[in-house]
Amino acid sequence: MAAQTKSHESMSSRLAEFRLIPRIETDPWTVSFAQTTLGKAAMLAAFGGGILVFIRDPLSWLAFVLGVTLITFLPARRRLILAVAPILLVVLQTFQKPLLLGLNLAVIAFGIFLYWCAIRWPKSLFGQRPVAFLLGGFSALILLACATAPYSLAYPILWDLVGLMASYLWFIAYAVSDRNSQPARDLTMELASFHPVWGSSNTPFPKGAAYLRRIEAQNPEQQAIVQLKGLKLLLWAILLAVFQVFWNQFFHGYLRIPLPDQALAMSVRGTPASWHLCWECQILAFFESILTLSIFGHRIIASCRMAGYNALRNTYRPLSATTLIEFFNRFYYYFKELLVDFYFYPAFFRYWKKHRRLRMAFATFAAAGFGNAFYHFTRDWQIIRDDGLWTAIRNYQTFLFYCIVLAAALSLSQMRRRGPMPVGFVRGHFLPALGVGIFYCLLNVFVTNERGYSLAEHLRYLASLFFIKF
Amino acid sequence: MKGKAEIREFVQGLLTNYGDDEPLANGDSLLLSGRLQSIDAVEIIMFLEQTFGIDFAQIGFDKELIDSVDAIDATVQTTMNCKKE
Repeated sequence: MAAQTKSHESMSSRLAEFRLIPRIETDPWTVSFAQTTLGKAAMLAAFGGGILVFIRDPLSWLAFVLGVTLITFLPARRRLILAVAPILLVVLQTFQKPLLLGLNLAVIAFGIFLYWCAIRWPKSLFGQRPVAFLLGGFSALILLACATAPYSLAYPILWDLVGLMASYLWFIAYAVSDRNSQPARDLTMELASFHPVWGSSNTPFPKGAAYLRRIEAQNPEQQAIVQLKGLKLLLWAILLAVFQVFWNQFFHGYLRIPLPDQALAMSVRGTPASWHLCWECQILAFFESILTLSIFGHRIIASCRMAGYNALRNTYRPLSATTLIEFFNRFYYYFKELLVDFYFYPAFFRYWKKHRRLRMAFATFAAAGFGNAFYHFTRDWQIIRDDGLWTAIRNYQTFLFYCIVLAAALSLSQMRRRGPMPVGFVRGHFLPALGVGIFYCLLNVFVTNERGYSLAEHLRYLASLFFIKF
Repeated sequence: MKGKAEIREFVQGLLTNYGDDEPLANGDSLLLSGRLQSIDAVEIIMFLEQTFGIDFAQIGFDKELIDSVDAIDATVQTTMNCKKE
């Protein structure tokens, strides 16, 4: 009997330790080999081949792999290479459009100037609230562009500037907020973190220069470990990308389950899909959003790790989240960090200090409500340019509703007093995770690419999932 | 030293809530390593406000200030010394 129990234990421990991709970064021989010239060359070859899945343009691929190769063999010059590379890329991509190139370099210079001002005058009005000034100034720039006559000379220049500022906004925000970190004065790192070579969305991956300094490999062994982790993550991203191709072919090609935008459009046209198809489409969309974001984030973080920075994954086991706030943290980590750093903490430290619950709810609404809405509204600046400010605001009602519901739900999730987790898999993990999944499945109804449909139409579609018609 | 013990006990409590029974060294990274989440940073901030009267709006906030038991203790000591001066 004892032998049987022992065998069960050994099997479950072996299962728990099973990894689809082995933990090569913990193997001493592999780590030693990765520090040799041959080992580095082998890693770079594997990485260069793997990243081809995601970077198809030969020039971009060559530039990127060359950069990583230089960093791998000249780690002491890592920061310099990373600082110069994004500027070189900007020059290479825009040298045929002098105006765009000039504006691009001007925006980078402006960001560095603001960073310098925040460091130089920390007690000034700007030095105390640099991000608020930055976001206020950017909003004023959008208003100015909206007020400019469409056929004037200033119109295209101003909108180009809005577009460039929108893409650099949060990178500059991290730079100007670096004044609190130690050591703050490192211009090379600030430049390296403005649209870093490993890629990012408008959300900086992985945050700003202060964070990069903390996670940088400090010696050859650390670099080898970080690069091995990067290689593993890239492999995982490739496996997920392959899985996604089969997923799409099976569910949307073979089974013909509509995408959420299609199901909503059918509902708006008065020819709704059957209820079970709508549910299937919402459930699939939930998993697909996780899959897409995982592939996107893993590719970037893998590249960042290859450059010698041990960044946390952007998406990490979101399906294991047992609370709404935990899912938000695990699903899109760096966007959540952006909201927390620039909206949550400033609101939390300044307002309602004597009212614990109100303070928490206010800060959460500032981040997941206002900050989330502001981020997406300004990110999609082309809609403001093409449709006009008021139409853009009116068509934003559905996403605004999404932000308010999300903020309310996250506030409640945070306010619930946390105690020890319930015991057992079903009560402790499965049921809470299922609840979280269902909530986000339904909330995703309000996240569509089509902004032309009203909030009422989205609500009608949501109600139809529960056989309610209005 | 009582302060540090109190801090450690508080942090250990947060980790236990996650079912994290891994050993905790005073220098171990808590937030930047992902072992604790942003919501836990808020819990630590409120604990420091209530127990030691620290106001981060005054001293400026950086996650590194509360990233380990040692870092939290150093922040407390520095703030206390500044208050005395």
